[in-house]
Amino acid sequence: MSQQTEPRSKSEERAAAVKAATVAVPKPLTFWEQYRRKPQGMVGLGIVIVYVLIALFAPYIAPYDPMEDLYLADRLAAPAWMAKTSAKFKDAPPTIRMNLGPDDWVREEVDDISISPYEFPYFDGVGMEIVLPQTHVVEVEETVEEDTWEEEEGFWASAATDWDPWGLLESNEETEPSPEPEDEYGFDFEPEIDSGIDASAKKLLLTYEVDYDYTPPQTFSFSFDYSVDAPSSAETVIMLELMTPDGEVFDVWDARVYGSVESGTVLVDARDYDLKMRLGQGFFDEPTDILFSERGTYTLRLSSWTDSKEGPVTLMVTPVKFEILGLVHGILGVDHMGSDLWSQLIYGTRIALAIGLSSAFIAIVIGTSVGLCAGYFGGAVDEVLMRIADVLMSIPDLPVLIILGALFGKSVLNIVILLAIFSWMGIARLVRSQTLSLKERMFVEAAKASGASGGYIMREHILPNVMPLIFANLVLRIPGAILTEASLSFLGLGDPRVPTWGRMLQNAKQFGAFTRLAWWWLLPPGIALTLLSLAFVFIGNSVNEIYNPRYRERS
Amino acid sequence: MGFRSYVIKRLVYALIVLYVILTLNFVLFRVMPGDPTKMIIDPNFTPEAKAELRSQYGLDDPPLKQYVTYMGNLLKFDMGLSFSTRRPVWSELKERLPNTIKLFLCTFILTSLTGMRLGVKAAANPGSFTDRVVITAGLFTHAVPTFFIQLLMLLLFGYYWPILPIHGTMSAPPPAGGWNIFLDRLWHLVLPVTSNMIVGFGSWALYARNTMTEALGQDYIITARAKGISEKDVLYHHALRSVLPPIVTLLFMSLPGMVSGAVITESIFSWHGVGRYLLDATLQMDYPAAQGAFYLIALAVVISNLLADIAYGLVDPRIRVGAGGAK
Repeated sequence: MSQQTEPRSKSEERAAAVKAATVAVPKPLTFWEQYRRKPQGMVGLGIVIVYVLIALFAPYIAPYDPMEDLYLADRLAAPAWMAKTSAKFKDAPPTIRMNLGPDDWVREEVDDISISPYEFPYFDGVGMEIVLPQTHVVEVEETVEEDTWEEEEGFWASAATDWDPWGLLESNEETEPSPEPEDEYGFDFEPEIDSGIDASAKKLLLTYEVDYDYTPPQTFSFSFDYSVDAPSSAETVIMLELMTPDGEVFDVWDARVYGSVESGTVLVDARDYDLKMRLGQGFFDEPTDILFSERGTYTLRLSSWTDSKEGPVTLMVTPVKFEILGLVHGILGVDHMGSDLWSQLIYGTRIALAIGLSSAFIAIVIGTSVGLCAGYFGGAVDEVLMRIADVLMSIPDLPVLIILGALFGKSVLNIVILLAIFSWMGIARLVRSQTLSLKERMFVEAAKASGASGGYIMREHILPNVMPLIFANLVLRIPGAILTEASLSFLGLGDPRVPTWGRMLQNAKQFGAFTRLAWWWLLPPGIALTLLSLAFVFIGNSVNEIYNPRYRERS
Repeated sequence: MGFRSYVIKRLVYALIVLYVILTLNFVLFRVMPGDPTKMIIDPNFTPEAKAELRSQYGLDDPPLKQYVTYMGNLLKFDMGLSFSTRRPVWSELKERLPNTIKLFLCTFILTSLTGMRLGVKAAANPGSFTDRVVITAGLFTHAVPTFFIQLLMLLLFGYYWPILPIHGTMSAPPPAGGWNIFLDRLWHLVLPVTSNMIVGFGSWALYARNTMTEALGQDYIITARAKGISEKDVLYHHALRSVLPPIVTLLFMSLPGMVSGAVITESIFSWHGVGRYLLDATLQMDYPAAQGAFYLIALAVVISNLLADIAYGLVDPRIRVGAGGAK
């Protein structure tokens, strides 16, 4: 470099050229420098990096736990954006779910009725402790009251005979409280509590307004638990009503309690026949034809009154859970169990990567060891190992995996091990043939001559030389493992405890994605699988082009 | 070593493989945890009745005797009674076998022909549209899950545009007339076969393209062209003939994979075949049925491997002469 000006002889020039060559040859482009120039490889690497990031940050990307959070919306709910883009799901309701506590209810102020918040264990939200005051009633009127209640108590029977909830409600209000104003003494009740309802019975009325601006849902439900602590002679009525925007009131649930009740559970569900009967419907009618069938403000009314002459009545009510299961939900909708599909997709990345990488790695380890031993030792060892490989190769892998998967139990670990056991043969053959040619080379001879053991030679001399081959094959094995696992999961032999893409597809096939034309359920897992496999194929091919130009063909 | 001894060697080898698979089949179903007889013997039976049943099923015999009986029965295609239907497994399999073979043959022939045709075309016109299609298909063929494409086609042609039959091997009331029945069955084959073809043709097309490209660069092709032979003749009579042997071998070697794929195809399209029978039997823990179906599949694979070896020996004399011994 410095003697540029000096005239050089031919031999000097040649020496310089050789020197330059020797400088250039041992320092060719590094692997990364070569790899960087492969557009395919870079695309593949980019995709894999994205997948790895998604897998790592799955809990932050996915809003729900795919296995725990169920019933997020009605079964097979469509993606939320379908409500805007698709005519079929135009204005479809999202999931409306609320736990109504003392702060949510609008209360008609009544003296003597005290409501205090009460935290129940195992319940979301805050419940209520309601104390209804003692009533003072003349006995004569009570019989009338009782009769009407008796009638209402048997709503099972009465519902069958063209039962009109609105009419009954009115009859309640008229027959029951009307005698009482006269018997009230010294009580300064507010007369305008509810039209025509007498307040001497100290009716508690909590209302909550729900603005419903969607197409009718398929189902809705109310649920809460309650307990009543009252003198044994007391009669307490609890009632849940729903007022439509038209002002029609439907009694969806009521109970009449004599004395105390330790705990009662209320579950009003649009799918239950109980509610259909109350609404005067037949078995195959839908309550949603009447309730939430039109847009507007629906009013929930929780009311209670008591006839207790021996002391006040304490009512404990857990938060009232009101839910309308949505017909649209999240980014990709939900599956048949109401589990979020977007979360399943995101968490599926983890399993796919874990299974693909680990089983390919195990397969490579087995294959390399077998290939090294067979190639290096030759003779009987070679014969036995290669015959085993041949037999395993002739076994059709999917059928045997189906049987073994079912026999050994459906778990991720089993699948990984089985996949590895049935996929090491190809790499073993490759490594064996490489080893066969490598062991004839001088450096191996030299190592042998200097007394190196077989294990040492294999580890230190042969293994590094087959490494590039192994590396490329490791990458190229991954898509096979991922796809086989997906096939197994799709066939129903996957681990039932983990969300995988194969399982998503299986569920889609099994639970009606086709009849609903739910392409948003079918496409994402399939595309995710394809992209990931393709990325590994890209990387593997690029690595092969760099390291093993002769092995460009995929086996 | 002559061709005959080569074939005999491969035959012996195939028998050994089959023997090993059958033995594994026997051992696996006996070492597995749990008692398979629970499926057929009511737990409420008295111990004496249970013992009686067990001895009737031959489960009290020493393992070696059971093994011999098992092997002898398999040779006679006696696979026992299915737990779930109580019918002989072999007669159930016999019903399904023609369906599977039909599906398999159609897929095999169509896929390989399409693949090779496209591969040759791509090699003849490098850089053309066909070439790009072949290269892309070759990439995707190992990356796309077959069942995903099948599900997509199911959704498209079975539900969005319900024009193709999506399950079964024939219409529920079969149409009258022999010709109509034939057409009906063919019509039911369309979706399973095309979906398999779409995924499968890529690897063959790419392989045919690569070997053909290599062959077209050889001297004898230049000679042939120089002699003024038409391009078509050069392509099909000179180049293709020289690359046919490895391709034919590849075709036979791909048979086991296609047998595997049949399980998925059959289960997606509710095909009344052996693969689906295996899957259903396995999921229902119907062990004799699963064993029988697996035996049949293993047999098919071993035979196809044998055919691949023989074809390889036929088309490539080097194998049977030299390499056969120097393995």
